[in-house]
Amino acid sequence: MTVRQFRNRRPARDGITVVSLGTAALLALTACTSTRSDTADAADNGGGSAKAITIGTTDQVSSLDPAGSWDAGSGTIEGEVYATLLAAPNGSSDVSPDLAASIKLSAPKEYTVTLKPGLKFANGHDLTSSDVKFSFDRQLRIADENGPSSLLYDLAAVAAPDPATVVFTLKSANDTLFPQVLSTSAGLIADEQVFPADKVLDDSAIIAGKPWEGPYTIDSYQKNSLVSFSANSVYRGSLGKPKNAQVRLKYYTDASNLKLDVQQGGVDVVYRTLTVTDLQDLSGKKGITVHTGSGNGIRFIVFNFKTQPYGSATKEADPAKALAVRQAVADTVDRAQLADQVYKNTFEPLYSSVPDGITGATDSFTSRYGDKKGGADPAAAKQRLSAAGVTTPVTLNLQYNTDHYGSSSSDEYALVKTQLEASGLFKVNLQSTEWAQYGKDRVADLYPLYQLGWYADYLDADDYLASFYSANSWVNNGYQDAAVTSLIHQEETATDPAKRTALIEQVQDKVAAAVPLLPLLQGSTAIVTRADVTGVPDKLDSSYQFRWAELTKK
Amino acid sequence: MRIVTALVDIDPQDTAGPAGPAGRLLGSGLVRYLVARFLLIFPTVFVLVSVVFFLMRATGDPITTAFGDRLTPEQLHAKLHQAGYDKPLLTQYLSYLRSVATGNFGRTATDNEAVSHVLRTYGAATLELAGYALLVAIVVGVPLGMVAARYRDRGPDATLRLLAILGYAMPVFFVGLLLKLVFAVWLGWLPVSGRAGTGVQLELQNQTSTTGIYLVDALRSGDGSAVADVLRHAVLPSLALGLLVAGVLLRLVRTNLIGTLSADYVEAARSRGVRTGRLVSRHAMRPALIPIVTVLGLQIAGLLGGAVLTETTFEWKGLGYELAHYLTVRDFSAVQGIVALFAVVVAVTNFLVDVVAALIDPRVRY
Repeated sequence: MTVRQFRNRRPARDGITVVSLGTAALLALTACTSTRSDTADAADNGGGSAKAITIGTTDQVSSLDPAGSWDAGSGTIEGEVYATLLAAPNGSSDVSPDLAASIKLSAPKEYTVTLKPGLKFANGHDLTSSDVKFSFDRQLRIADENGPSSLLYDLAAVAAPDPATVVFTLKSANDTLFPQVLSTSAGLIADEQVFPADKVLDDSAIIAGKPWEGPYTIDSYQKNSLVSFSANSVYRGSLGKPKNAQVRLKYYTDASNLKLDVQQGGVDVVYRTLTVTDLQDLSGKKGITVHTGSGNGIRFIVFNFKTQPYGSATKEADPAKALAVRQAVADTVDRAQLADQVYKNTFEPLYSSVPDGITGATDSFTSRYGDKKGGADPAAAKQRLSAAGVTTPVTLNLQYNTDHYGSSSSDEYALVKTQLEASGLFKVNLQSTEWAQYGKDRVADLYPLYQLGWYADYLDADDYLASFYSANSWVNNGYQDAAVTSLIHQEETATDPAKRTALIEQVQDKVAAAVPLLPLLQGSTAIVTRADVTGVPDKLDSSYQFRWAELTKK
Repeated sequence: MRIVTALVDIDPQDTAGPAGPAGRLLGSGLVRYLVARFLLIFPTVFVLVSVVFFLMRATGDPITTAFGDRLTPEQLHAKLHQAGYDKPLLTQYLSYLRSVATGNFGRTATDNEAVSHVLRTYGAATLELAGYALLVAIVVGVPLGMVAARYRDRGPDATLRLLAILGYAMPVFFVGLLLKLVFAVWLGWLPVSGRAGTGVQLELQNQTSTTGIYLVDALRSGDGSAVADVLRHAVLPSLALGLLVAGVLLRLVRTNLIGTLSADYVEAARSRGVRTGRLVSRHAMRPALIPIVTVLGLQIAGLLGGAVLTETTFEWKGLGYELAHYLTVRDFSAVQGIVALFAVVVAVTNFLVDVVAALIDPRVRY
C-alpha cells in the first residue's frame, strides 16, 4: 500500500464516520426540538397575526377564475375573495343585497340592480356596473365546460346604463329564480381590467392582479398546498368587516392526516372532508367540536324508466308493474337505519327530493309509503306487488360508486341490499363502478337502478326539482310528466311566494307518487373546530353557509 | 479535465493514440465507454416515454374521461378535435414526441397548468426528500453493514440481517404509517405531515427568491427555528423512504465486506496482527464500497417509486404526491410529463454512476 493510496482512502472513511455521526446527531436534535411545531404555528407570527385561523381541507382548487371553475375546492376560495350582487344570509335560503343596494323586477323580463356607492377592488380599481356587465358577458362568452355559465340559461342581455345601475334582460317573463342565480358562482364579479373577456385567466395572473372585492384578499398562494388570506379593507358587502384578520387554508390529500392535524392543533378548523369514522372518533375528543346537521346535500336512488324491471325498453315492459316495483322499493327501504348504522347520524333520513329546511320542502314520501311514519313496511310492499301482478322476487341490478360519494357508499348500498332482500320480495345484484366510467354508463342507460347525489347551486327548491324532473333534467332517466313540467315552469315564474310554495309542494307530491327517484338521505358537510374557535353553530341546518368572516379565535 | 488526468494517471497506455491529444482522448477506452453509456440515456428515456404514452392511451382519451357525461356529442367531438385526440394514435404519438423533444410537455388537462411549471414547482421537493432518504440510507445502511460483517454469523449479524430484510420487505407506506403512529401520534415528538409548519411554509413561500428546497431556503433565511422546523418535518418521511434503501445497503456492505475480508491481502494484514476493527475500516472497506456506488444509482429508481407512496403518506407535496393525484384524475399530460422526468433522472443518474464506477475501478471500462 502506497502513501498516496492511504491518503486517498482515509478521507472517505472519515467522511462516512463524520456524516453518520453528524446526521444521527442532527436527527436526534431535530426530533427532540420543539421549536416551530405545527401546534405553535397556529399561534405564531410567521407570516400572519397571532390570531390567524388555519382551515384544513381535502378539496382541490381547479382554477381561481370564476368563469373556469364550478367545483367545491375552487368555490371555497372564490366565495371569500369575490362577491356577488345578492347573497343569502346565514339562517335563510332567501337572497338579499350584497354588493347591490337594491334589486327590482322593473319589467316582466327585466331586473334592475343598483350598486352600493364606493365599491372598489383590492387593487384600487373602481367596481362599477361596467365590471358587472363584463362579468356576466364574459361567463356567457367563454362558457367554459368547467365553469358555471349554464346557470345563466335565462339571461338574454346585460346593460350598464350608468356606473351604478345594471339591467338584466331575461328570456322568460317573471323569472323569480334569477335573484337566486345572481348569488351563485356564476354571479361572482370579475375586474374587467384584470380578466380577459374571452378566455380563462391563469391563477398566477389573477393573484398578481388582486381583483378581490370579497371579504378577504389572497396574500400568498401555493396552489393546493397553502394559501394565506387577510381581511379586505375595501370590502363593502353584507357580511361587514371579518371578525378575524387572517385565515390560512391548508390542503390535504389524506383525510387521516387532516384528522391528526386538527387533533394536534396544526389546523383550527376542518371544512370538507373527513370520513364518518374520523368524525365519530373526533366527536369524543376533548377540545374538539364536530358540527353536523341536516344540510342541503342529498343522496338518492335513480330508477331508469327504460331498463328497470318492466321498464319501457325491457322485454316485459309494463308501466303499471314498473311503478309497483318502484313503490315497493320505497315501502321497503329503511332510511333511519341507513342514517344511523352507516353514517352515525351525520346524515338524516330524506322523504322528498327537496331537503328539509328549504322553503317549500314537504315530506311527500312519509304518508305514502312504508309504515306511513317514515319507517319501512315490507308487508305493504308485498301487497302492492301482488296487486300489480308482479312475480317475486324481483331482480334489481343496483349500481353505486365509491370514489365520488365517499367510501361509506359501500356500506350504504350493502345495507340497502340487505333491507330489500330481507323482505323476500327482491333479489339485488349489487355492483360498483369508478366515477369516470359511471358518469358515461348511467346516461347510456346501462344502469337500471343507481346511486346519485346532489348539492344545491342555490338554496331554492327549484334547484332540487327542475334539475331532476324538468324537460332538460340532469338525471335524464327517461321520466317525463307534462303536468310536472308545467308545475315546475309555473313555480319558476310565480311572483306570489305563497302560491309558489304551494306549486313546489304539488310537484313533490306528484313525483313521490311516480317515484322516478327514491330520496334516501340528506346531510351537511360536517365542520370540525378546536375549542378556541367560535363562529360555527353547534347544529348546522340546510341554510347554513360556511363563511370565514364569522370565525373568531380566542 | 480531471477525467482526462485521472485517465492518464490510471491507464497510461491509453495515451498512445495516433492523432494527437484529441485523437488519443477519443481513442481511449474510458471515453468510448462513457460516450456509449451517455448515448444509452436517449433510448432508455424514449422507451419509457413511449410505454407510458401507449399505456395511458389504452384506457381511453382524457377528454372523454373528464367531460364525457357533461358535454353533448358535438361539443365532445369539438373538444377532441381541438386537443388532437381525434387523430390516429400514431400521429398523436409523433406529435407528442416532437413536443417533448423541444421541452414542451403541454398543459395539464384538469387545471390547465403548464406541465413544465408543475415539474419545476414540485421537482425540488422530491429532490429534497430523495436527498434526505439517500443520506438516511448511507448513514444507517453502511455502518450497520460493517457491524454485521464484523460479527458475521453471530447475534448482532443475525439481528441486523433480520432488520434489513424487514426494511426492504415492508411496503414503504406501511413503514411510514408505523413511524407516524409511534413518533407523531403516540409520542407527539414529530409532526404528522407536511414539509414545514404553516408559519414557516408561509415564510419560505414569501421569500423573494426560492429554490423550492426548503432546507436551503430556510438556511438562506437565516432563521434557525425555521431550519429546525424543516428538519423536524423531514425526519419521518426520510426514515420511511431511506430505510427501504438502507436494508439493501446493509446486506450489500455486509456481503462485500465479508468477501474482501477473506482476500489474501487482508489475511496477510491479519497475520501481521492487525485487529478486526482496523481490518474492516482500513483494509476491506474501500473495495467493498465500489459495487455499492453502482447499487445506489439503481436505487434512485426505487427512491422515486417509493416517493410516490411516501409523499402521499406524509403530505409531502412533491412530484410523487402530484403523480398520485394526477393518476387519480387521469390527467394524461401531467402523468406523462412527470414520468418522463423520472425517466430522465433515472437514466442520467445511472450514467453518472457509471462514470464514477469507471473512475474508481478501471475494470468496468471493458
